[in-house]
Amino acid sequence: MSPPVQIALQNAVNGLLIGGTYATVGLGMSLVWGVLNVINIAHGAFVMLGAYTTYWLFTLYGIDPFAALPLAGAALFVLGYGLQRVVINQVIRASFLITFLLTFGFELLITNIALSVWTADVRAITTVYSGRSLHLGPVIVPAIRLMTLAAALLVTVLLHLLMSRTRLGSAIRATASDQEAARLMGIPIGHVYAVTFAIALATAGIAGGLAGMSFPIYPAMGANYTFIGFVVCVLGGLGSVAGALVGGLIFGLLTTYAAGWLGPNYDYIVAFSALILVLLVRPAGLFGRAARFRG
Amino acid sequence: MIRQEAPRQRGGDARGFAIAAAALAVALVLPAALNTYYVRILTGIFLFGILASAWNLIGGYTGYPDFGGAAFLGIGAYTTGILMVRAHLPFPAALPAGCVLAAAAAAAMGALLLRLRGHYFAIATLGFMLVLRQLTANLEITGGGSGMNLPPASDFKIFYYWMLAGLVLAVLAGFALPRTRAGYAIAAIRENQDAAQVLGIEPLPYKILAYAANAFLFAAAGGIYAYWLTFIEPLSVFNLDFTVQAVVMALFGGPGTVFGPVVGAVVLKTLDVTLTNVSLFLHNVFFGALVCALVIFAPRGLAELFQASPGRSRWAALRASVRRALQENRV
Repeated sequence: MSPPVQIALQNAVNGLLIGGTYATVGLGMSLVWGVLNVINIAHGAFVMLGAYTTYWLFTLYGIDPFAALPLAGAALFVLGYGLQRVVINQVIRASFLITFLLTFGFELLITNIALSVWTADVRAITTVYSGRSLHLGPVIVPAIRLMTLAAALLVTVLLHLLMSRTRLGSAIRATASDQEAARLMGIPIGHVYAVTFAIALATAGIAGGLAGMSFPIYPAMGANYTFIGFVVCVLGGLGSVAGALVGGLIFGLLTTYAAGWLGPNYDYIVAFSALILVLLVRPAGLFGRAARFRG
Repeated sequence: MIRQEAPRQRGGDARGFAIAAAALAVALVLPAALNTYYVRILTGIFLFGILASAWNLIGGYTGYPDFGGAAFLGIGAYTTGILMVRAHLPFPAALPAGCVLAAAAAAAMGALLLRLRGHYFAIATLGFMLVLRQLTANLEITGGGSGMNLPPASDFKIFYYWMLAGLVLAVLAGFALPRTRAGYAIAAIRENQDAAQVLGIEPLPYKILAYAANAFLFAAAGGIYAYWLTFIEPLSVFNLDFTVQAVVMALFGGPGTVFGPVVGAVVLKTLDVTLTNVSLFLHNVFFGALVCALVIFAPRGLAELFQASPGRSRWAALRASVRRALQENRV
């Protein structure tokens, strides 16, 4: 195999592997955007909280980071339910600028509190198996990246089943497509919104744990993940679980190839160009059809 | 989008301008009476007054939630810096070049981005800012990630006057825009773009006009800021904080009004400076909490919060409008 082909192949594998983490970041953002019509600027900050939860469980109590993922998800689920029920539900029907700014306020609060509690130190989750890798022919597959992709796929499948097979999923989809009709059918809207936001934050928490196994952890890391979440949502098409997965994988491939060809400092430029192109040519995303959550 | 009151009656305007003229007269002589610290604080307040008034042109009057204003602030800062350092132009020649370049960039990007609406517009403008930040860090002429030093000025008070001039220009733009033909088109676009189109208003050129004017003013503030601080780097000027503070100040003071954004900037920046003196950590947390409280309790800005209805006290009016804000948007 010639070296250029080998490099292209390795880039494809790297891109798909990291794409799973990006897809998990996009899942929660897509859910909140599609159901609540809220763009959660603090999404990345919640990813950061998930990363720290996983990091501390691992560092202080020796819990394997993959075993810590459900705990991070559960902690953020509780936080999400409370935030939506007590705060966001108060302004949920206001103009989009209002909810946009509200979540920006969250982002400022959470990031700055994290900064004062945990300091600006950069941390990393390094397990005993972090250095291991598989050799599949000419391609090297880092073990931990493969495991993060598997975990991301598991979360995606579980969320898809929840949205498509359960009563709760039906209630969420009904609320997303017509809030008034859902209310008339006896669906408790405030509760459904809170559960939706809680599920979104749970996936953000898990995404944070996954990201923390591949990338550095620090209080200001969130802004980056918020932008990744946007691009993943737009690429895959708003409001579907499968869309977020595809969007995440495309984003992973795009940034990996861009880094390989142009150097490491062109990821935003490439991602934004793709975003603008998709928005102008196919505003519903590459695979999306309408802006409501289909599960 | 946000609603705002129609341009005020002429009587209200006259009063507003009498107060503004008095404030301007005081502002012109103030540096002679104040020490360096306060002149510096006021220069900072004027900076945010420019930004809030500039955002008001596109976000308030036109109803397009721009979150990429810092992109133009950065263009202004870097163009001014590059022309002064590499071409040895004097500041008064370099600054307008930055403003014009930013307006041109806004017109070009606006032709694409202003076709998007709502969330998509907000995200795309934010993305544009992040791209420019990365591009600036990659380029050689900008000094890359290590930033750029500008020649220091002989007297710090000149920044005060430059910012004041920028603020006057921004307020005049906010006064003029809604009173021109373009202003009526822009108001129609804000209220209902599809209906405006049916009436024969082609929205895009008017939106581009408001967007370019907003960019021109952001760049002016950015150019003066760069010369004032004498050091710029990609992260410090392509900084989302500038944009969001401008949005919050405009929203706080009353979007779509001539003086509202300036009042918002004065009140919030004064609070911010006071709190920074108390604790560096606290002021960011406070700002976050303030943003949350503002959008929950006073989504239409402070002016409306205290607008008393006949026969009721201010306190009763305040309670009533908070209750109304809470009731109409909750589920």
